[in-house]
Amino acid sequence: MATAAIRSPKAASFGHRTIALIPGLLLLAAVGYAGKFIEQSINAYAKAHHTPFPDIEFVLWAIVIGLIIANTIGIPRIFAPGVATYEFWLKAGIVLLGSRFLLGDVLHLGGISLLLVAIALSLSLAFMHLLGRAFKLKPKLTSLLAIGSAICGVSAIIAAKPSIDADDEDASYAIAAILALGAISLFTFPLIGHALHLSDKAYGLWAGLAVDNTAEATAAGALYSDAAGKVAVLAKTTRNALIGFIVLAYAIYWSSRGQAQVIGNKAAFLWNKFPKFVLGFLLISLLATVGFFAKPQLASLANLSRWAFLLTFAGVGLRTNLRELGAQGWRPFAVGAIGEAFIALLTLGLVFGADHYLKL
Amino acid sequence: MSNTQPAESQPAVSSGPSLDLYAVALALLAALLVRFNLIPPIKW
Repeated sequence: MATAAIRSPKAASFGHRTIALIPGLLLLAAVGYAGKFIEQSINAYAKAHHTPFPDIEFVLWAIVIGLIIANTIGIPRIFAPGVATYEFWLKAGIVLLGSRFLLGDVLHLGGISLLLVAIALSLSLAFMHLLGRAFKLKPKLTSLLAIGSAICGVSAIIAAKPSIDADDEDASYAIAAILALGAISLFTFPLIGHALHLSDKAYGLWAGLAVDNTAEATAAGALYSDAAGKVAVLAKTTRNALIGFIVLAYAIYWSSRGQAQVIGNKAAFLWNKFPKFVLGFLLISLLATVGFFAKPQLASLANLSRWAFLLTFAGVGLRTNLRELGAQGWRPFAVGAIGEAFIALLTLGLVFGADHYLKL
Repeated sequence: MSNTQPAESQPAVSSGPSLDLYAVALALLAALLVRFNLIPPIKW
């Protein structure tokens, strides 16, 4: 029948877009699985030969393999759409990770996180603006860097860019600086955490509060330990939940100066910017708390979350192009780096205080 | 390299709220499949 052969352009484009994801998805899976394979092989070798060898998590291997591929042979265009889905898997993984939290723990740790986020946020935003002025950055670039480093990295910058009518160039500078600093945090945070003998909870909270991008915060936590990774995701999710409020505040500020559009319906704006995966995380946590899942099913959900994160960590390495990051100029990077160091120290102090007074 | 592009230049794929909803929907669907034993236990 003639009608059967006619496909709507929308359906055809959906099919094409889905097919276009396959090569990149396979690359994510291959890189992530290679990381897991290396970890398991080294552990098996060390066990068989009674050789003491530090247990280096698959997270690090996956990121390093991805970094090597991206910065040597590069990522051919055919892989790009699939590789770019790594944040989708991150969000699905975070929702599934909710099964590993009782709602009481979420409220306890989330409450502490919220308190610390509020303190860190106000101090870091003020500090970033002072720095931006000192380095003579454009005000909107400073705003983007402040939002990116105080809240949620790339997602926050992308959410803020249209709301404050920032230039594409400013946004790409801010994104590049945040990505470069995120990559540095990945390798420095676990080392500092071990040097300070931080507990899993304290380290996880610190990573979740200080590392910018959700993917990097999750990876920095997981590089320390499984338990630290869990707490890092929770703290980072709390930070992400505030994204709408901060972007709204900046949008109102810039529109009051006549340099951005006026926000009409503020509730709709907040809902639009609110990361919905936070609600999914809370729902799964609630279901786990009320006994909706049996114990083996909880184990399956936790493993599904790990598989989703495996794709994410591969994507973190694959999308980090060191040459591109180096080409963005030193000023935004310097402001970001000094700001990040300030935020890392500030949040570390807050975590020590919370550990002492609030019993993490 | 002409056939390469930095992946950080495609944030649109990962930033929209609709993508968030797709991720939540997929995770909830997976949770239901696990809950009603419609897929075998997931190993790591």
